[in-house]
Amino acid sequence: MGSGNDSILDMYLYETNTLLEQLDGILLAAEQADTFSQDSVNEIFRIMHTVKGSSAMMEFTSLMTVAHRIEDLFFIIREKTMEAVPEALRPELFDMLFQAVDFFRGEIEKVENGEALSESIDSILDKINSLVNKIQNGNAAPAVENSAAAPAAAEAPAPANQDYPFGIHVFFDEGSGMENLRAFMLITAVKDYSTDFITVPENTENDPSSSEVIAENGFFLWFREAGERDSAIPAVQSAGSVSSYEPVDARVEASAPAAPAPEVPAASAPAQPESPQEPAHPAPEVKAAPAAPAAGGQQHAKESLISVNLSKLDQLMAVVSEIVITESMVTASPDLKGLRLDNFTKSARELRKLTDDLQDVSMSLRMVPVSSTFQKMNRIVRDMSKKLGKKARLTLIGEDTEVDKTIVDGISDPIMHIVRNSMDHGLEETEAERVAAGKDPVGEIILSARHTGSEVIIEIIDDGKGADCQAILNKAIRQGLADPDRDYSQKEILGFMMMPGFSTNTQVTEFSGRGVGMDVVKKNVADVGGTVSISSEWGKGMTTTLKIPLTMAIMDGMEVSVGESLFTIPINNIRTSARVAAGDVIHDPARGEMMKFQGNFYPIIRAKDLFGLEDGHDNIEDGIVIWLEAGERSYCLFVDDLLGQQQIVVKPLPAYVNSFDIKSCGITGCSIMGDGSISIILDIANLYSAGQSMF
Amino acid sequence: MPDENVLFARESDAVPAVEEGTAENQTSKYLICISDGLLYGIDAEHVETIITDHTITRLPRVPHYVRGIINLRGQIIPVIDIRLRLGKPQADENCIMVVNEGSESMGILVDGVDKMVDVLQRSILPMPTQNPQKLISGMCSLPDGKTLLILDCSLLLHE
Repeated sequence: MGSGNDSILDMYLYETNTLLEQLDGILLAAEQADTFSQDSVNEIFRIMHTVKGSSAMMEFTSLMTVAHRIEDLFFIIREKTMEAVPEALRPELFDMLFQAVDFFRGEIEKVENGEALSESIDSILDKINSLVNKIQNGNAAPAVENSAAAPAAAEAPAPANQDYPFGIHVFFDEGSGMENLRAFMLITAVKDYSTDFITVPENTENDPSSSEVIAENGFFLWFREAGERDSAIPAVQSAGSVSSYEPVDARVEASAPAAPAPEVPAASAPAQPESPQEPAHPAPEVKAAPAAPAAGGQQHAKESLISVNLSKLDQLMAVVSEIVITESMVTASPDLKGLRLDNFTKSARELRKLTDDLQDVSMSLRMVPVSSTFQKMNRIVRDMSKKLGKKARLTLIGEDTEVDKTIVDGISDPIMHIVRNSMDHGLEETEAERVAAGKDPVGEIILSARHTGSEVIIEIIDDGKGADCQAILNKAIRQGLADPDRDYSQKEILGFMMMPGFSTNTQVTEFSGRGVGMDVVKKNVADVGGTVSISSEWGKGMTTTLKIPLTMAIMDGMEVSVGESLFTIPINNIRTSARVAAGDVIHDPARGEMMKFQGNFYPIIRAKDLFGLEDGHDNIEDGIVIWLEAGERSYCLFVDDLLGQQQIVVKPLPAYVNSFDIKSCGITGCSIMGDGSISIILDIANLYSAGQSMF
Repeated sequence: MPDENVLFARESDAVPAVEEGTAENQTSKYLICISDGLLYGIDAEHVETIITDHTITRLPRVPHYVRGIINLRGQIIPVIDIRLRLGKPQADENCIMVVNEGSESMGILVDGVDKMVDVLQRSILPMPTQNPQKLISGMCSLPDGKTLLILDCSLLLHE
């Protein structure tokens, strides 16, 4: 267990990361629509506010400062709606926000790694500030327009005041200057205590002329409730440059709700400026909106979720696996043989049902949807499409498909790599090229996930130019990976792309072409027990398919025996099995054996010889031949007998044994059978390599 | 699961080899096991349990002295044959001493387990010769005139 401080830091990191992910999503959606809805503005404002607050608490100054500035920016946008941001400024705004998200991510990563945070945040602050200025200046014109268009709006604060009868009258230090900005800072400070209030004059931050009004008449904050006003007083007290303040109560007319507006402002607020810059929309509408939906939505999402340390789930899984095994050890105990135990059998059946349920539930705890991984790709497609000048859209299918948490973490990088490849090499360089090929000028990348029994299939499909088999083959020959005199099938040629150091791109770009490519993808996917395959048609695009087991902890296996030894073969590697006659086996000159299945010849590997076992059948007619397939490899394995299909719990081999590199000869782990004996789990892909190196 | 005859019952009747020493004469408990006529001492702190007649699952493609793995109450533990490890001929021994060092455990196949002794730390002498296996960290004489070879568990586990 970590110390209290660690858990606070963990919480902070988790929360901030979640918020940033949320922010990224909002930004992408908003960029597509080229505007922020009022809801999104409120949401971003709220996110920035939270990040600011929690960063300040953790004393991460750089994060706090940047979040604070963005919060300010969105405060302005929130007040004035997106209308205030001219079309021309919007791309700049979006870019700045994406940069800010990246900045936050970078800083958070530094926090995670225990590195020092950036000191120089000026460049990003400059960007934000210049945007704030531009938006404010750009707004000067529409503001005037507003007031001209709606002279009646001047009366708007009246009902507002009616609803906000409890005020604070604040005077700033005489001659302190920039009273409007001081008032704005005061508003921000008060916001920490209450969100539901209005100010007179409004719009202090972007209306320099309000400065004089405040200097002359003071600055009013009006609250709905007396309690809220009182709670805001400390904020006013501690705010800078405040020379004096006094609480004031507006006289509320008995006929208040129906009262005609004009008298009220005059009566309740003698300092009410005849400000022509009063915005057209009544204040309460803007102010009240943000608090309610934001808070409501957030609570709804949070209430039903807790975050649990993954290692605890691992522990749970391990204990449950033990229970499952122990349960079958008890019920199948040899001591019970031949006894008639009706009640025992009944209870045992009940126990079996419950342990099955327990296993299902504990497995489902570790399952998370792939959507967070998929959503990240939106960002990559967006960034690359900007950088490379290619238009592309990303379509996500089956985002809510669930897989084991460790697997989600393991496939994130490979998917990112493949998407980058598709953007960089897959899609045509120019729109004209696409139009000439009769395609939609906007390229499409489809990311899909679906379940098939024990596996998750993730496909990354692009409709670009596809793989040029000849080019790949030429390159493979140049790099000495392929034999120039041999004919290769298309599948084999595409397989070269996954060899280490292979990259068809002649130039190194920011995104790809460094030669560490598909082979890394293949390795990462193999680490979580999956396989990668590529199919492509020249001119039509490319499809990369990742097949990944749902979970690595439990799998369906076929138990086979060789003499006294037990082995488990993953069920999804098995094509078929057959008893064969000696005459069906074909020998090659090197005494290798082969079998013909469905029109193709496959080598036979004898498990007994491969593992150097002492007992087991030698006559091929006594045993059974299993036709296996793993990725690109297909071959037959000769064993004594099939014992049956079983769900098994995968246990890693002890580190001591692994140090002898038995993984490379096709043994990945072991599992404990119901009777306590150990079965060795075979890795079909590596087993083949081991078999090849032997003969 | 096969029967596990835990032989620790013998501990009680083990005779202290050395009289209880004074404060500066620190002693450690060692469990004596026999393999091919020699006595090996294993620091009792590392000994987890002793089991007999346990089925060992063979593993292919490992050095011959790694006899395989066993399932000890759900834990998978490798078993090595100390005879083969030290270059002696294999015998039909079936007594496994399970030792652990840190989080790792290992079973050691020996001919039999003798008894627990207290050994004075300062009576342990270095090996006079360089033995090629480097598993013996010292030796000492027992009161009955026999010689005890101290087996180093961490060397066994982390070779």
